[in-house]
Amino acid sequence: MQTAGQRLWNLCCSLKLAIVLASLATLLAIFGSLVIYAHPTVFGDLDQHTLATWWRQTGSRQLEQTWWMPLLGLLALLLAVNTFCCLLEWLRHLRHRWRKLGEYLIHAGFVLVSLGFLVGHLYGFRIDRAQVFEGELFPISPWPGHYLRLERFEPRFGEQGQPLDMYNDLSLLRGEERLVRQVARINHPLQYAGLVVVPLSFGRQAQGFRVFQPGKGNLLLRRGSRLETGTGAVLHVEAFLPDAVKGADGRVRQRSGRLEDPAMLLRLERPDGEIWRGWYWLRSPLPYPLVSAGIRFWPVEPIFASYSLLTINYDPGINLALTGAVLLLAGTALTLVSYYRKRRIGDHPLLD
Amino acid sequence: MISYQIPLLYLALACYLLAGAGYLAAFFGRRRKLAFGARILVVTGWLSQTLCLGLRWQAAGFLPVTNLFSTQFFFSWALVSTYIYFDLRYRIGAAGLFVMFVNLLLIFSILPRDPKLPVLIPSLDTPLFTLHIIFSFTGYAMFAMAFSLGALYLWQRRADSARLPSLTDLRKLNEEAILIGFLCFTVCMVFGGIWAWIAWGTWFSWNIKSLWSFIVWLFYAGMCHAKFVRRWQGTGYALLSIAGFGVVLFTYLGIGLLLESNHPLE
Repeated sequence: MQTAGQRLWNLCCSLKLAIVLASLATLLAIFGSLVIYAHPTVFGDLDQHTLATWWRQTGSRQLEQTWWMPLLGLLALLLAVNTFCCLLEWLRHLRHRWRKLGEYLIHAGFVLVSLGFLVGHLYGFRIDRAQVFEGELFPISPWPGHYLRLERFEPRFGEQGQPLDMYNDLSLLRGEERLVRQVARINHPLQYAGLVVVPLSFGRQAQGFRVFQPGKGNLLLRRGSRLETGTGAVLHVEAFLPDAVKGADGRVRQRSGRLEDPAMLLRLERPDGEIWRGWYWLRSPLPYPLVSAGIRFWPVEPIFASYSLLTINYDPGINLALTGAVLLLAGTALTLVSYYRKRRIGDHPLLD
Repeated sequence: MISYQIPLLYLALACYLLAGAGYLAAFFGRRRKLAFGARILVVTGWLSQTLCLGLRWQAAGFLPVTNLFSTQFFFSWALVSTYIYFDLRYRIGAAGLFVMFVNLLLIFSILPRDPKLPVLIPSLDTPLFTLHIIFSFTGYAMFAMAFSLGALYLWQRRADSARLPSLTDLRKLNEEAILIGFLCFTVCMVFGGIWAWIAWGTWFSWNIKSLWSFIVWLFYAGMCHAKFVRRWQGTGYALLSIAGFGVVLFTYLGIGLLLESNHPLE
C-alpha cells in the first residue's frame, strides 16, 4: 500500500504527466504565438525588457491578450519540476540505470536552462538602443555606480557601401575603476559577469556649432563651452538642441535628433552676477541682450559627434543556461552513441 | 557561377525521378535489381547535389542558406542524405517514397527561382549560424522521414503488404527517425541560443519563429516520451509523426512565407 507521499512522488516522476504537460504547453504556445503575432502593439516590445519588467509595465494591464502567458509559465515550471523529479529518481537508481546517462543529461540540461531563464528574467535588466557618444560616460542605471565609456567608434563598410561591422572600443567602469576594456563588434559582444553589450546600429548627431567671431576667428560652441567676451563677462553654453521647438507653455524642448532648427541655451554672467539667460535660435539673429553686451558671432557649420546604439543586457541566469546547454550537448551525443550501441548488441530492425 | 548550378540540379532531379519510378516498379514488380538501380540513382543524384552545394559554398564563402532557393536546396539535400542513410542501413526502399515525393516537390518549386548567392548579413557571419542551420535541417529531414514512415505504417496497417517492411520494423524506424531528429534539433536550438546571445544579447526571443522552434522541440520531446506509453505506440505514434511534420512545415515554410518574421524567406 503506497503512502500519500509516495503517490505524490510517483505523480511528480510520472512519464504520463510529462507527456500531458508537454502537450498542453505545446497547444498553449501555439495559441500564444498567434496572439503575439496578432497584437504587435501589446507584445512588440517584449524583447526589449525582461519578462518581469514587461509584465509589470504592460502584460498585467492587458490581461485579455496576455492571460495565457502566466499559464504557459506555470506549465513550463511544472514540466521542469517533473523533469527534475525524474532526474532525482534516476539518480536514486543510478547503479541499475546508468546506461540512460545521455537521456538524463538532457533532462538536467532542460532543468538548468529553464532555471536560467527564470533567474535571468526575474533579476536581470535590459537597456535597449542606448545612445552612447564617443568619449561619453553612459550610466548603467539599473547597476548604480557602473558606466560604459565609448572610447572610440569606427564603422566598417564593404566595397559597395554596405555596412560590414561596427568597432566599439568600450570600457566598463565601476566608479573610477575600469573593470574591462574590449572592442565590441557584431557577434563579438563585451561580456562581463552576465552583462552583455551588443552593437546594434550607429549614427551621428549635431553637438554644437562652429561660430565665427570677428577678431578671434572660428570658435567651437557646444554644451559646456565658455566664451570670454573681453569685457569681463563670460558666455556659457548650457545646452544645445539640434532640433528645438517652443511649446505652448513657452518651454523649449527637443523635437528630434536631426539638424532642423538648432538652438542653444546661453547664460551671460559677470563676476558680480548673471546678466542674461535664454535661448539663441541659430537661424535667427543673436538675442538683443548679447548684442548690447558687445558680443558678435555667427554660426559657420555644425559640429557632429558619432554615437553607437548599444543593447545592454544583464542576465544573471546566463551561466546556468550555458551549463544547461553544455549538458544538453553532452546528453545528445551520449544518447546517440548509446542508442546505436543498443542497436548493435541486438535491438536492430531486420529489414529486406 | 550559375552555369554549373542548373545542369547539376537537373541531373539530380532526373536521377530522383528515375529512382522514384524504379522504387515503384520494384515495389509492384518485386524486382530486387530495380531497387538496387534506384538506390544507385538516388546516390548519383545526391552526389550531383552535393557537388553543387559544395561549389556554391565555396563561391559564397559561407553555407548558402539565406534565401528561399538556398534553404529549399539545402533542405532537399538533407532529405536525400537522410533517405540514403535509412536506405543503405535498413534497405527501406519504397518505404521512403514519401520523402522522395517531398524532395521532388521541393526541387520542382525551386527550379523557377533565382539561384544567385545573396550577400551575407554581418550577424550571420559566424560558425554558430552554420552549425545552427545544419542541425536544424538535419532535424527537419529526420522529421520528414518520420512522416514518411508514419504514413507508410498507416498504409501497411490497412494493406498488410508483404512487399513492405513489417509494422514492427516501421515503428522502430519511425522511432529512430524521431529520436535522431529530436537530438539534432536540440543541438540546433543550443547553437541558435548561444549565437543569439552573442549577436543580440538575448538567447531566447519572443518572435514567432523562435516560439515555433520551441514548439517543434516541445512536440518532439513529448513524442520521445510517448513511445514508452503502450497506447501511443504504433498507430498513435504514426499519427503524431504526420501531425509533427505539419508543425515542422509551418515552422520552416509557413512562417517565412505567410507571416512577417525575423526569418523571412524570399
